[in-house]
Parts: sequence; structure tokens; C-alpha cells
Amino acid sequence: MKVQHDLLKALAEKREGNGVLLEHEVKGLLRGLGIAVPEGIFVSKVQADRLSKLVNIPYPLVAKVSSSTIISKSEVKGVRLGIKNEDELKKSAAELLDLNGAEGVLIEQMQPKGLEVITGGIIDEQFGPVVMFGLGGVFVELFKDVSFALAPLKREDALWLIKQIKGYRLLEGYRGEPPVDIDSLVNILVTVSELISSGFVKEIDLNPVALYPGGAVVLDAKVSLAP
Amino acid sequence: MLKLLDSLFNPKSIALIGAAHSEKKLGGIVLKNLLQYKGKVYPVNPKYSELMGVKAYPSVEEIDSTIDLAIIMRPASEVVELLKQLSGRTKIVIVVTSGFSEVGASQLQNEVKEAGREAGVRILGPNCMGLYNPYAGIDTFFLPTDRLLRPGKGNVAMVSQSGAVISCLMSAMKSANVGVSKAVTYGNAVDIDESDLFEYLANDAQTDVVISYIESVGDGRKFIDRAKMVSKRKPLIILKAGKSQTGQTAAFSHTGRLAGRYEVFRSILKQFGIREAANMDDFIDSAKAVSYQRPSRGSRVLIVTNGGGSGVLATDECMRQEFDVMKLPKQKAAELREMFPPFYGINNPLDLTGQVTDEDYLTVLNKLRDDYDGFLIIALPNVLGITEKLAPLLAEFKDSYKKPVVVHVAESGITAKLVALIEQTRVPVYPSPERAVRALKALLD
Repeated sequence: MKVQHDLLKALAEKREGNGVLLEHEVKGLLRGLGIAVPEGIFVSKVQADRLSKLVNIPYPLVAKVSSSTIISKSEVKGVRLGIKNEDELKKSAAELLDLNGAEGVLIEQMQPKGLEVITGGIIDEQFGPVVMFGLGGVFVELFKDVSFALAPLKREDALWLIKQIKGYRLLEGYRGEPPVDIDSLVNILVTVSELISSGFVKEIDLNPVALYPGGAVVLDAKVSLAP
Repeated sequence: MLKLLDSLFNPKSIALIGAAHSEKKLGGIVLKNLLQYKGKVYPVNPKYSELMGVKAYPSVEEIDSTIDLAIIMRPASEVVELLKQLSGRTKIVIVVTSGFSEVGASQLQNEVKEAGREAGVRILGPNCMGLYNPYAGIDTFFLPTDRLLRPGKGNVAMVSQSGAVISCLMSAMKSANVGVSKAVTYGNAVDIDESDLFEYLANDAQTDVVISYIESVGDGRKFIDRAKMVSKRKPLIILKAGKSQTGQTAAFSHTGRLAGRYEVFRSILKQFGIREAANMDDFIDSAKAVSYQRPSRGSRVLIVTNGGGSGVLATDECMRQEFDVMKLPKQKAAELREMFPPFYGINNPLDLTGQVTDEDYLTVLNKLRDDYDGFLIIALPNVLGITEKLAPLLAEFKDSYKKPVVVHVAESGITAKLVALIEQTRVPVYPSPERAVRALKALLD
């Protein structure tokens, strides 16, 4: 974690305003920690006219608005999925850059559908750094099927946390679905735990994380730095 | 801290500041209670030279012997000054007085905290009822003995943030035939908190079980550390109030919005294997179970009943508690079939029907004692076959085999008598099959 502490420190020092990192900064950090994220490129507002030259990723693509002030991208319709060609890409990017507070767009390779989970970390008032894990999408919204654990987590603690949710059976392979790669998920939880315990991070959300039989990819990530 | 808290729980001398002459006053009730105490009591009240036959002092400054423990029962506005007077005279004080942060007077509470620190006096409270230690004859609870029933000496330590809750628990323990080693309340916890008390009780030889009612903890990490210390050595049961508090709605992350104080608390207790009671009934029922018998491990439960329906209800609750209501081993089922009338249900639950006799229970238990980890006895004493003799028979099994045994006795004309006899033998009895199963869960963790 030493190098990452330096990186976090560098990010913390250049932070402006509310301390919210842009998605590509968070994903760069995660990639450096050995966590899989989609292949992607950040195109800032001033680079927008060179968009097609900059993006050299096979279609289909995803475009997302980048902003430290937009807390929920979906609420402002800041995400475009399944972009199939250059025309669609240009159109999507232009629309996204038009949104209030847009600083750029993140263009990523579209990932296959996986089992979506959510993990994150906060500094709890009573307990300090705490890690959360739960099933994503409708499960987290409707059933709040999530559990928490005191950080830092060892691998066995992370595995324990994963098993706490009611929907754990879905991860083991339910109704003919293959089991997902728990080991990769454990890596992600341990990394979240290290980040939230580092002293530099105030809140972190990896939501969703797509789980596959062979691997796990962080599709969206948010970090706000400690003041 | 251990030595300091020993002066709290086992003082050799106590100064009661705000002692009164009459039991119509709170300071009078406490003084009356302390007359039972074998150590030295110094009532402090400037208006009297003697209270209830004991020499009274105008102020603590007039007491020329050492004071192990002081109790302050004077109005909130006087507490800071009284703490100053205690400097160098005692190391620990119970501030019973209320009227601090619980009513919004946080500034005054901070002054009390600061005054304690400057005077070198550690504080339990304020806004608390103090403690009850039947072994030392100490009782600082300001509620009359004909109203607040005091449980006798026993092995359960009760720790409560709330005085109201501990007063309910005191009477509940008495009714449940559970004895208490210590009962202590810590109120607004400006200094000594649940973690400090846990550390003491983990090391206390008179305490086999710790139960703790908690609204909030100050330092969560310290709390977990001390709770682990206790639960490594003896059963610890926590009842957490404030379950409806929601997460931080303004949080930046989804995690923050989902992280209600209770959800985090509950998860962390689970993470460290610390038992949480579901509610007040479960709290008291579990405390009784682990006070009577030593918890052990396993999940195989045998239900022996003389009423089919009650057995089914118990089975349902066993499923919810993730017990294994395993079938009888074939050979033993065949042997029991030979021994009993053909209409007995030789299954699990094992139904001894209305034709039951007391001895049938022991026959079944002895036959199947190696095949299960815990035993649930259901007795519906509306039939003549169930008598007071059931108590010694169950005791015989429990004492010779040391596996958890809990009982549900249904309401009947002999229930009160039968329950008293069974509980004398340290087999806990519950008024419903479901509560008995949950109590068994506390014994098979």
C-alpha cells in the first residue's frame, strides 16, 4: 500500500473544492492496486473536439459524465450505454458535456452482464473505518441486503462479510448459474478496507461491481477524500 | 482501572452526599439501603448531626477518614463544587444527579467532566442510579425495596446505560429466579463507560454472565475490544436500543446512506461473535438460561412433549433458530417403541401424549442423551400424569449429563409450583415453546 499512499497523498494535495475525485482518478488508483476496471479513457472538455482520435477502444462503449459535483450520474441522465459507432459516440459525448458541472467524459469499453454487487467504506462516528458489502441493483435499493464489518479486513474477514448477506446463494451459483469468482471479490473488499483505513479517504463506493465466473470488474467508483 | 473499579464495587467506606432523614426523599431511601452495608457510611447533610441513627457530617471536608466511594445526590448546580471538595478525599464518585446533557445542559455536563478530571476523581454517571452489589451489601438504587424488587446473590452482572431499564431488569431477574453479582448503571458516561465496566466484570470471579443494555457507545473500538475480552471468558448478551435510527441521508456514498448506526452496530457484534438479544424478552430469557447452565456447542435438538401441537410450534421455532431437529436413530426408536404404549409418537418431537408419566421423560432423555446436543422438554400439566416429581427427574438428567436442558411448562393449576421446583434445580422454564427454544439457542451458540 505504500505507493498507493503516495498516490492518495498526491491526489489529496491537488484536490480542489469538495474533495471528490473524478471517476477515472479512482479507477486509475484501483487499477494500480490490482483491481480490474474497464478499459477506458477520460476526455476533458477541452479535448472534446479530438474525441475520435483519442478513443481507441473496441465498440460497444459506455460514456459517462465526469464531475466532482454530480453525485448521482443516473439522476442527471449522465450515462450512455451500448454505444455502437463513432457517430453515436460523438453525439453522446456532446450531450454529456452539456450537462451542468460536466468536467469531461469517461469513455469505457462496455462490459458483459455479470452479477452486480456493491461495496464501500465509511468512517463511522462510533466505530471508525467500516466496510460494507451487499447485492447491487434492486436488492440494495429495495431489500437493503447489506452487511458491515470493522476495517481493516483480512481475507478471511472479507469472506465472512460476503457470506453475511441473505443473497449469498446467488454468488455460489443459483438455478444453473455458474458460481462467481469469490477470490477476486475478496481482493476488492480487502482493497476497499485498506483505502478506508488509510486516513486519506472519507467515503468510498464501488457500485456496481460486476462479478463473473472468472473475475470481477468495478464498473463505477466514487471516492471523497478526508478533509 | 481494575483497582479503581474495585473501590466502586467493593468499597470499605462510602460518603453519601445528600443523605436525607426520611424515605420520602431519594437521599433517605439510599441511606436506608446502605444501613445493610457492612462498611462505614458517612451521611453528608449540613442540616443534621445524625440521620437514621448514623452520625452525619456537614460536608465531606469534615470527614477525617479515607473515603473509598462517594455518592452525590444533590442538585446539578452543586455538583461541580462538590467534586472540588472531593479532591484528595476519594478516587471515585457516583453522580446520581440528573439534569445534564439528557435535558440539553451539555455545557454543565462538560464542567462536571472537567471538574472530575481536575479533582482527580473518576465519575460514574451523571444521571445514573449507581450500583447494586448484594455480595457487599451495597445498594444505591433510590427506589424503595417494596417497589423495586432486589434479586438475591447470583452470577449475573447487569450493566445498563439506563436506570429505568435496570430497574425493570432487577425485578425481572428476581421473578426469573436469577441471582445477580452486580448491577450497575452509568447514565451519561462522562468518564467511566460500558467498556471500563466490561473489563472489570470480565475479571470478576463472582460474575459468570454479563448482560448489557446499550443505547450508544462512545468509543466503538474500545467497546468491541472489551466486549471480546468478556465473551472470551463468559457469556455476554447485549440489548441494543435505537434500532430505528437511519443512515446519514446527506451522505456522498450509497454506503453512507445505508450505514444506519444500528445496522453497523449489529454487523460488528456479529463479526466478533458477540451475542445480541432480539428484544427485552429474549434478553431476560437468555440471561436466565446462561445463568443456570453453562453454554455448550452443537445444533441437534430433541423435543420431548406430551402435546403434539406444542411440539410442532417448538419445531417451527427450531427451524427459525437453525437447529437440527434430527430424527431418532433407528435402533433407539425401535427400543423406545418396545417400552412405550403404541399410541406414543416415537419421533422428534417425541410425543408422550396425555397418557404421559413423569418417568417417561427421564426414560426418553436417558435413552437419547448421546444423540443430541440440547433438550427441550414440554410439559402440559393439565393431565394427571405430570406432577411435581418431574422436577427432580429433570434435575437428575441435567446433573448427570451436563448438556443444556430447557423446559416449557404450559399454564395450569400446578404451573407456578412446578416452575418453582424445576427452577430450583437450575433448569430454566419458559411460558411458551418458542421462548424455550430461543433460550436453548443462548445455550447452544
